[in-house]
Order: sequence, then structure tokens, then C-alpha cells
Amino acid sequence: MSGNEGTLLLRARSLTKTFAGDGVVVHAVREADLSLRPGEFVAVIGPSGSGKSTLLHMLGGLEKPTRGEIWLQGQRVDGLSQARWAMLRRRHIGFVFQFFNLVSNMTVADNVELAALMGGASRKQATARRRELLGELGLGAKADTAPARLSGGEQQRVALARAMANRPALLLADEPTGNLDSGSSAAVLGLLARAHADGQAILLVTHDLRMASAADRVISLFDGMIVDDAPMTIPHRPMLLPDVLKLRG
Amino acid sequence: MRAMARWIRADLRASTARALVVAGVVAAVVTALLLSAGLLQGATNPWQGLFTATKGAQIWLHLAPGTSVRDLGSRVSGIEAVAGPYQATAATVVQSGARSRVELRAMPALPLIGRPLVIAGRWLTASSPSGVVLEATFAQAIHAGDGDVLALDNVDETRHVRVRVIGIAETSDQGFYPDQTPGLIWVPPGLLHQIEPIVGHTEEVVGLRIADPDAAAFIVQQVVTQLGNSAVGTVSTWQQVKQSMARRDPLLGLLLALFGLMALGAAVLAIVNVTAGRVLLQSTDLGMLKTLGFTPIQVLAMLTAEHALLAGAGILAGLAAARLLTPVLLDGVPGVSAASAALPSGWAVLIIGGTFAAVLLATAAPALQAGLVRPVAAVRAVPPRGHLSKLARMAMAARMPPAVVLGTRAAFVRKLSALLTIGGLAIPMLMITIGLGFWSTIDDVQRNPADIGLAASVTVGPGPLTMAQAGRLISTDPQVQAAYSCVRADALALGDTTTITTLGMGTSARPYPFHVVQGQLYRAPEEAVATQALLAALQLNIGQFVRVWIGGVPVTFHIVGRIIDPQYGGEVLAYGRDTLADEGAPAPIGFYSLVLKPGVTPAAAAARLVRVSGGRLEAAVVQDPADQLGIVDVALACLIGVLALIGLTSLLTASLLSQRDHQRDLSVLRAMGMTPLQVRFALMMRTTVLALVAVAAGVALGSAVSTTLISSVSKAYGLGAGIGRPPAIGTLAAAVVLAIGSAALASMLPARPSAPLSTVAILGPGP
Repeated sequence: MSGNEGTLLLRARSLTKTFAGDGVVVHAVREADLSLRPGEFVAVIGPSGSGKSTLLHMLGGLEKPTRGEIWLQGQRVDGLSQARWAMLRRRHIGFVFQFFNLVSNMTVADNVELAALMGGASRKQATARRRELLGELGLGAKADTAPARLSGGEQQRVALARAMANRPALLLADEPTGNLDSGSSAAVLGLLARAHADGQAILLVTHDLRMASAADRVISLFDGMIVDDAPMTIPHRPMLLPDVLKLRG
Repeated sequence: MRAMARWIRADLRASTARALVVAGVVAAVVTALLLSAGLLQGATNPWQGLFTATKGAQIWLHLAPGTSVRDLGSRVSGIEAVAGPYQATAATVVQSGARSRVELRAMPALPLIGRPLVIAGRWLTASSPSGVVLEATFAQAIHAGDGDVLALDNVDETRHVRVRVIGIAETSDQGFYPDQTPGLIWVPPGLLHQIEPIVGHTEEVVGLRIADPDAAAFIVQQVVTQLGNSAVGTVSTWQQVKQSMARRDPLLGLLLALFGLMALGAAVLAIVNVTAGRVLLQSTDLGMLKTLGFTPIQVLAMLTAEHALLAGAGILAGLAAARLLTPVLLDGVPGVSAASAALPSGWAVLIIGGTFAAVLLATAAPALQAGLVRPVAAVRAVPPRGHLSKLARMAMAARMPPAVVLGTRAAFVRKLSALLTIGGLAIPMLMITIGLGFWSTIDDVQRNPADIGLAASVTVGPGPLTMAQAGRLISTDPQVQAAYSCVRADALALGDTTTITTLGMGTSARPYPFHVVQGQLYRAPEEAVATQALLAALQLNIGQFVRVWIGGVPVTFHIVGRIIDPQYGGEVLAYGRDTLADEGAPAPIGFYSLVLKPGVTPAAAAARLVRVSGGRLEAAVVQDPADQLGIVDVALACLIGVLALIGLTSLLTASLLSQRDHQRDLSVLRAMGMTPLQVRFALMMRTTVLALVAVAAGVALGSAVSTTLISSVSKAYGLGAGIGRPPAIGTLAAAVVLAIGSAALASMLPARPSAPLSTVAILGPGP
């Protein structure tokens, strides 16, 4: 392990994913190199089908890379079994998806508490954390509601609360506003900004350039290859909601 | 652990209905299996349950009066307890002209060992000195019940006593009447002395409960040595009683065995279908749990624990239901009582354990799959892509309605799932077809008892008259269509110590109209026909010769055909009675078998003959095994209903899964310009096509095997092949139409919620 990887939260080297099926080979991600420092907010942009989600899924252990290395907190993780990846996700990685993917048979409160319980919290701690998160997100009154009864924006806020239940070091967000109206999108982006301000590293996949502009750094993907990896010109400082609104405007 | 418990609780709360279906199916299966196993046990091996319930003795001895059995338990090792001695005597019950030999057994108080099980009325009391208790099968045979008055004659016919039946009891001391005679009546000691005052005409009856049942023969030898040869009259062991009871009713046994087989098949299927379907429906959520950090093993453990809980609840409910339903069901089955249908604990454990294991296995396979699938697949939840087949493209080109083509194609996109759905419906359909075959067989037996060898419905013994006198009386009776002079003779097969029942039925020139299923009827002296059970017992085939000893005279028979006859435990050798005269064998006093004119009830004809003869003829109605089939009819209808429900559950599960898979497709279709009606039709086609394939396969296979299966089980039960009937075409057609119609309906139910879904919401940008 090089010394560099020790200070990085996440690093990927020559990450490659090839899908083969129906006699056609699709190179979803090719030789991607990227790194993420603790507390850094990085956006991955690119057109549909450029491999953004596949890259994110590989970094979170949801998809096995065909080739390449992934290092998380100084530990090589690309060869881990599904079970080891699962344990890693419990404490260190939070996921947010475009389609929210809340566990449909559980209430809002259960969805958030389940994540906390998975992370090793006691029942009491899980309830306290859930109250705190839902309260912050303005969803305290909806704790006992089934996810299907919430609006898209509300569901995504619950998904965010769930992802942050264990205060993971890394938050992976896959088009979190892709399915939301502009008002809800702004609220979600605000939450991400707040998490970032709290020192959480975020890797955000989006094809919305305005969303990406909130990040510290933007990685561009095209046909599965990283074609650009550049910091935003605005100097790094904690992102606040008014900034985002300013950028969007 | 806490997270798993939380998820299980939430899941059970959120999908209570589906959870209840799983528990309900398990409960229904456990109930059905316990009930059918109980009925099967009661019909095929009633001894076991009776023996346990009566705390029976394995050995029964009839001893000369005055034989001392004191200290017998300590003199012969291996004896745990001694029942009796009870004083007993032979007597005759005279009832509307019919005379039945009985043994009266004096038993004042209910003993601890060999304790008769009172099933109606009460036990003997000092307050009713002329009250008697009848053994249940004997009571049934002479149509006597609690409160009836019977006339008892002693052996010399010097004393006639009228007694009142105050109770009916079951026992494991001896086989069922009339396979085992004489009938058994328990009487107060005072009454026995009143009927038979001569001590020399009595016996002492002793029962021995032994530690090692397999040592019965050895212990009998020792007891005989101890008591002396001359003191021991007859001996019976539990093996003999068990065998005698087991052969009582092969037809009912056969039907119940089939019932059990079908229940077992349906049970496994129902459990697999419901459980696996439930897990498959959860796969998206399970994938999501994995992204949250559940390991594959945790997913497996969680689902297994959840379904173990449901199975446990279902099993408890099933046990309770079986306990409640057993007495209700047994009430309708003559000759099978609660005690005789009691299951040995091993069976119950096997049924419960097997059901539990089936649930866990049915959960484990899809749970393992759900655990192993990469979570991202579930997060995306996109159905596998497929191409339009050449056939589909041709169909579209030929301007077939697109909804039909696309719906049909969608049915087979997930090949494994399509196969499972077809299997899930084809197997119940196969069993329903067999069940319908079974039904038409019962129907046939009920309509044409002659097909199972019961052409004659009344037998008449000459009583004090000669056979010729009796024959003249019978021939003048206008209700009788034909009378056959018959004789029943016990025979010993050469080199075999088993006694077999042989029947001289009619003459070679005018044989009794047996139902011959193979070969031909006896047309000459020395020709004989036999039942499957007899052929199997003597290892004979049609065309072979067999030599037996009748009354010490060797008689050789040429077996020319196979008949079906459920009487005498299904083991019958029948021939023209002239054979006996030809061979010089002694012929016992015979009887007449009467075939009645259509529309004449057997009971009325028998009563009339007794009346006309001034009470001298002994007329009895032949017990028709088909009389007992009513309950099987009902049970079968219930079973077919359950099978239909299983098929429907399978279709609904398939429909829900398919719905989840194709929601996106359907919106695309609507966006492409298909009307909501066409979309709905495509949905319906998808399930209906699978149902069509399944129903066709199930019915074809069921029809092919139904007759063979019924016949082979029938063969195993000694009745022999030949009673199986194919299902009635009309019923079968109705079942097919119902199945396809239900499939179409089932596909419509889950289709409804998809209609109002916004196309835009579903078609949002993909990952």
C-alpha cells in the first residue's frame, strides 16, 4: 500500500467493468482511476449510459469489478466477499438511489432505525437517532407512515436519513434528484450540503450539471472512461444552502 | 439480530394477509395429513390405536373351567400383567329369526388391562342386572344399539333370557365381527350364571400383557407348559388379531390410501408454492436490505426464521383443527372409531417434522438465491431482456392482435418462472384429474355393486330347513331374480398352514355372476376363479393349478380367471359347488345368494323371506362396502377444492411476480399507443397462456395415469386391477373451463392497480 492511500478515504485504480451477454460485450467502465479524501464532495457527471451508476455500484460493493482495485480507508476491498462488503456498508457507506428504494414493508421510522440497528446501535440509540434525523428533515410526523404514502421528495429525504443513520464516512448518491421536482431537488441538495458540512465525504452521480456544481470536484465520464477530473473553481469552503441556491440560479 | 427481528416484525405486519396464507396452508396441510393418516390407520391398521386405547393384552387364552392362573405372572418370565380370569360361555343371539353365535364374558368392573372402550351407552352396573355391553362390530352387524332388547339362548337351547343392551364397547382382544366369530358380549357375572348354570359349559378367559411383544409365541409355549395342554382351549396372539383387523375392508383402505397420496402431493406443492412465492415477491426489498449491510447468510437466516415462525403457528393450528375435526369426520365413517384412528406418535412426528422441513426447504431455495444475487440487480429490478421470437414476429406480420402476441411472449420471458408456474398449476390439475377418476370409480361402484363382485345383495341360510326346502321357498318369492346355491368351505393350501376361504358359488353349469376382470368364469368342475389377494398369497397365476385340502380331501383347482370380491378380506377362491361332490369332499351346509329384481331393497327382501318362512330362514343383507363411500365422496370434493385453491394461489403468485417484472414494459406499451383495454388483455394473455399449457399437460398426464394408478393401488390392497374408471368427460371439461377461467380472472386482479400508475413516473430516466 502506498502512503497516499493511507490518507485517502477511497481510491480506485484501473477499475473496469465489462458486461457480456447476448453475444455482445459492453465496456461499462474502463480503467477508471479516482480518489476521494475524507470530507470531500465529488460529483460524477456524464450522459446516460456512460457508466456512472456502474462505477458507483462498484465503489459500494454492489457490483463486482471485472478488473482493478478499490481501497477504502487504506484497506483493499475489491476482492471482498458479499458478506464482508455488507459488513463494510453497515458502518462506513451510506447509499441513496434515484428510486429511493425504501424497504416497502417497513414504516418510515423502521427504515431509518433498521440501518442504525444494522450499524450496531441499541434499540434506544436507534430510536433517538431516527427522531433526530427525521426531525431535522421535517418528517417527524410521518414516522409511522408507509413509504408508499409519501411523495417522491419525502421518500428521498427518508432515504437520506437512512443513509446517514450511522454517520458513514462515505455517502454514495446515485442520481438522488433524478426523479424529483425542482423544489424537492433543492431540499435534497441542501441536505447533502449539510452532510458535507458535517465532514461526510460524498460521491454524487448525476447528469445535472447544476447539481454537480455544488461539489468540490467534478469527474466526467464518457463511454465508461474518465475524461476529466477537475476541482470546481470556487475555492473549497463549507457549502451552505444559500450558496447552492445562488449556483442554481 | 435486532435488525433481523425488526424486519421480521415489520414484514409480518405489512403483509399480514400473505403471512396468514402461508400459515393457513401449513395448517390445512397438517390437518389434512393428520386426518387422512388417521383414517388410513383406522381403515388399514385399527388394531394399533385400539390396543393403546384399551391398554390391551397381547395374548388371550381360553382355559378349562377351574384352571388356576394364580402367580402365572411370576411363574412365566416376560409377563407384565394378567387380565382376568373372566368366566365365559358360548351362547346364541336370536334376532328376528337370525341366529348369531356369541361369547358371553362376565366382567363386573372395567379392568385396567384389556379395558373395553365404551363408545356408546355405559358399562355394566349392579343396578341393571340384565344389562349387557356389545362389542362394537358385532353390534353393528346385528344392527343392535343402546337400549335394544336381545334374546339369548344357551348352547343347549334350554334357557332363553332377554337382555337389554346398555352399552357398546370396542376392544383389541379379538378381531372384528364377522371376520372373527363368535361375537363378543360382556355380561354381569350373575347374568352369565342365569344363562349357563352348568360350570362345565364355561371357560376361563385370561389376557396376558407381555413386556416384549415379539416374544408372544415363546411365552404362549411356556404358559401352555405351565398350565398343561388339556387346560388350554384356544390361544390368540396380538399378531393374529392385528392381521384379522387389517383385512377388514380393503376397498375403504384403498380409497383412503389414494386420498392420502393425493393429500401428500398437494401438501408439498402447496407449501413450496406459497412459501417460495412469498420470498420471490420480496426480492427487491431483500436486495435493498443487502445494500444496507445484510449479509447473504443473514438474509437466509432471517427468512428462514420468519417462515419457521409461520410454519410453527400453522402446525399448532393444524394440530388443533385435526383434534377438533377427527370426531366429526369419524362419525361419518362406519367402523372407524377415534381410538382405532389414533395415530402412533411416530407418524404425527413425521407429519409435523416433514411439514416443517418442507417449509424451511421451500424458503431456503429462493432465500439463498435472494441472498446471493448481487444487490444491484434487485435495486434495478429490471426484467431480463428478450427478443421477439421469429414466431412472434410472424404472428405480428400476420396481423394477429398485438396484445395477444405480446402477452404470449411476455409469458415466457422468464423461462424458469414460466416453468414453475406451469408446474404449479399442472400438478394440481393432474391430481384433480386423478381425483375425478377416483370419483367416477366410486360412482361406478355405488351404481353397479356387481362390478366389485357384489351381485347378490341378500344371503339366506336354510336354518332348520334343508337346502332343497329353502330353495323352493326362495324360488317362489317374487322379489328374487336369481338364487344361487352356495357353500363356504375353509381349505388348507398344500405346504401352507394358512387357512383360505373357498366358496362354491352356483354350479359349473350355472355359475354365480362374478365380475371377471381377467380370464373367464368357471364353466366346468375343478375350474375356479380367485381374487388378486388370494393369487398373491398363494403365488399363483391364471392358468395354473392349485391343490388344497377341504375337509381332509385333496382338491385340485384350475385357476381360469380373476374376480373382484371385497368380502372375506379380499381373499377368495370360488368354483362351482359340484366340484366338491365330484372330488368327494364333504360339503358344509350351504346358503343361497340372491340377486334381487331391480328396485327391491335388500333389507325388505330379507325381512319378507324370514316372514314367509315363519322365521326359519336366516336371511342377511350383504354389507355393501360402497355404503361407506359417502364420506370419501365428501372428502374428495374437499380435496379437489383445496387443490383448485393451490392452483389459484400459484397463478396469483405468478401474476404478481410478472406484474412486478413488466410494469415498465406495460407503460411503454401504453405510451406506444396500446389502449388500456389492450394492455389489460395482454396481461390476461400472459397468465392465461401459461394456464392453458399447464391445464393441457395436467389433464393429459392425469387421464393417462388415473386408471392405472387406481388399479395399481387397488392391486396392492388385494382387490386387484380392474375397478379404475376414467374421469367423466363432462366433469373434466367443466374442470378445464373453470381452471382457464380462474387463470384469466387471477391475471385481472393484480392488473388493476397498475392502470392508474403514471407512465412518466415509471419511465423516469434509467440507471
